Amino acid sequence: MPESSPGYFGGFGGRYVPEVLIPALEELDQAYREARADPGFAAEFAHLLATFAGRPTPLTFAGRLTEALGGARIYLKNEGVNITGAHKITHCLGQALLAKRMGRTRLVAETGAGQHALATATVAAKFGFECTVYMGEVDIARQRPNVFMMERLGATVVPVRYGSRTLKDAVNAALKDYIASSADTHYLLGSALGPHPYPTMVRDFQSVVGQEIMTQLGQAEGRLPGYVVACVGGGSNAIGAFGPFVPHESVRLVGVEAGGKGDGTGEHAQRFPHGRTGIVEGYKSVFLQDDDGQLSPTHSISAGLDYPGIGPELAWLHEQGRISFAYARDDAVIKAVDLLARTEGIWPALESAHAVAHVIEFAPRLGRDEVVVINISGRGDKDLFILADAFADQEFYAFLRTEAERHGQQD
Amino acid sequence: MANRIDERLAALAAGRRKGLMTHVVVGYPSLASTSALIVAMDEAGADFIELQIPFSDPLADGPTIQSACEAAIERGARVRDAFTIAAESSARVQAPLLFMAYANTVYRYGTEAFCRDAAAAGISGLIVPDLPAEAARHEGYLDACRRHGLHNIVTLAPTSTVGRMAANATVASGFAYCMSRRGVTGAQLGLAPDVQAYLQRARQHLTVPMAVGFGISDRARMEQVLPYCDIATVGSALIDRLAGLEPGDVARQADTTRAFMRTLTPALA
Repeated sequence: MPESSPGYFGGFGGRYVPEVLIPALEELDQAYREARADPGFAAEFAHLLATFAGRPTPLTFAGRLTEALGGARIYLKNEGVNITGAHKITHCLGQALLAKRMGRTRLVAETGAGQHALATATVAAKFGFECTVYMGEVDIARQRPNVFMMERLGATVVPVRYGSRTLKDAVNAALKDYIASSADTHYLLGSALGPHPYPTMVRDFQSVVGQEIMTQLGQAEGRLPGYVVACVGGGSNAIGAFGPFVPHESVRLVGVEAGGKGDGTGEHAQRFPHGRTGIVEGYKSVFLQDDDGQLSPTHSISAGLDYPGIGPELAWLHEQGRISFAYARDDAVIKAVDLLARTEGIWPALESAHAVAHVIEFAPRLGRDEVVVINISGRGDKDLFILADAFADQEFYAFLRTEAERHGQQD
Repeated sequence: MANRIDERLAALAAGRRKGLMTHVVVGYPSLASTSALIVAMDEAGADFIELQIPFSDPLADGPTIQSACEAAIERGARVRDAFTIAAESSARVQAPLLFMAYANTVYRYGTEAFCRDAAAAGISGLIVPDLPAEAARHEGYLDACRRHGLHNIVTLAPTSTVGRMAANATVASGFAYCMSRRGVTGAQLGLAPDVQAYLQRARQHLTVPMAVGFGISDRARMEQVLPYCDIATVGSALIDRLAGLEPGDVARQADTTRAFMRTLTPALA
């Protein structure tokens, strides 16, 4: 275990929450440790992943993209084929099983892009939990299709109207709900961050992604990859894909952050190099913040990456020099979506397209004998409206106008 | 030099009187308001005054204080203003002053420097709600408080187990802050139905006096909790009364505060 003391990864992590939450987190930690030691729990989790979520997800050789870039051989770990369209369902199933074990009847979750909450609403429906989702008003406005689906799955979506009205404020609101409701509620946190034991628990559940990559690439190439590349918001898909490779020092691990529109404050979400160590939302890690420790505004074309903090284990692995960070700007991300769709028939989520954009940049410089795996953390259906806008698709606008008129007439 | 919190606690005990702790958010409604509100609270009978340093992501606070923090930051309040205002005010008032701050504010300032400068500005105690005992020790915060003669005010909650109460009791100093209910700050939500049993349970573990806060919005609620504790804390209810006033109208804010406090203090007798 990398933790230097319980819940810490080097100097990062810990449990920085009001006293009122400590008993609930201690109970969760205890329940999780018991579940991990119980082979029945692991078997039930594996069964659900296989029969409900759709695991293992394929590792696809990207032959035409490799040709187009003319460098390293590129593989895509396609997490987009999970039932809810992204990797998030994995830690949701794990945590839902745990919540059931703990006798909880209600789930709360925060969400940015909506992918995590869609997965939470899905497991809530499957297991029969009541479900409340906190989502920033700004994110609701740009991810309405996900909100619609969550509501159809029976979840209550509560708009968060304070702060920057994005993911960080949704985390805050969900934690506040949990502070008041922990007796019957499990906070189904959607990334490998927050107070201990969440970073460890979410990493453990998500590590199935990295394990599958290792097995599948072993079958395809008979070796370890040279690079594993993943986008990083809070870091759940990245730590899941990277985790099993951390001890294999020949494998380079690259996290790709939201470069947004530029280097100015509020134009991006690059914790590296712009972030500094801080203590926010229950954990110690690297955050985008000002001299007073107030969190900075962020921007990304993808709602899932514009978070000012990062999972503590990733911050620690970076400090150790074990992983490196790169960034992709919004415009490069749009081009990456386009190229991947046209060359491989895979439409990545805008979040995942950050990893693709970075590989487009560096793969041509690598030799044919190098192998790069990109974790495609989700598929892009949810981004339809943003992409139609980015590609200035006039026919799509005309379609929206017709639809709007039709709905107007129904009122 | 004696800590002013100790002196005030001794005076309350000698007079067999209960105490009142009030709350200001530094820079709300405006930076000019803060000193005037502190003076008004002192005149109107506050025994302890919490100066909350505004933070962008206040985990323990409900909508009233969160909005006040946001407004204060938007209107330009900086962390250094809290120290300037504390230094000015502590010389002018009788009531001991405390800083209420979130862990990131203390950490970014530097834990040691924060405690040193707070003590130098006449602050007597610190309340940092997201530094529970283990994290406080890990950050060197408990030692820094001790070195600079500041009371570290620990928080207890209705969810606190016997083990947590005992663990907190060993690091409590000055007084302990007991949340009246699960949840965040705010006047509207009231007290937990079993608040009295919980306060009696907390009393058995603590050797320091007990303050109770969260949901104490008027004299009636003060009277509900005061038989089981030593200090009632009123925060959001005071801030709610400032929300409708002009940020620049300091005199009116002070008058409103004094008038509201006159309705509370009879509960202390």
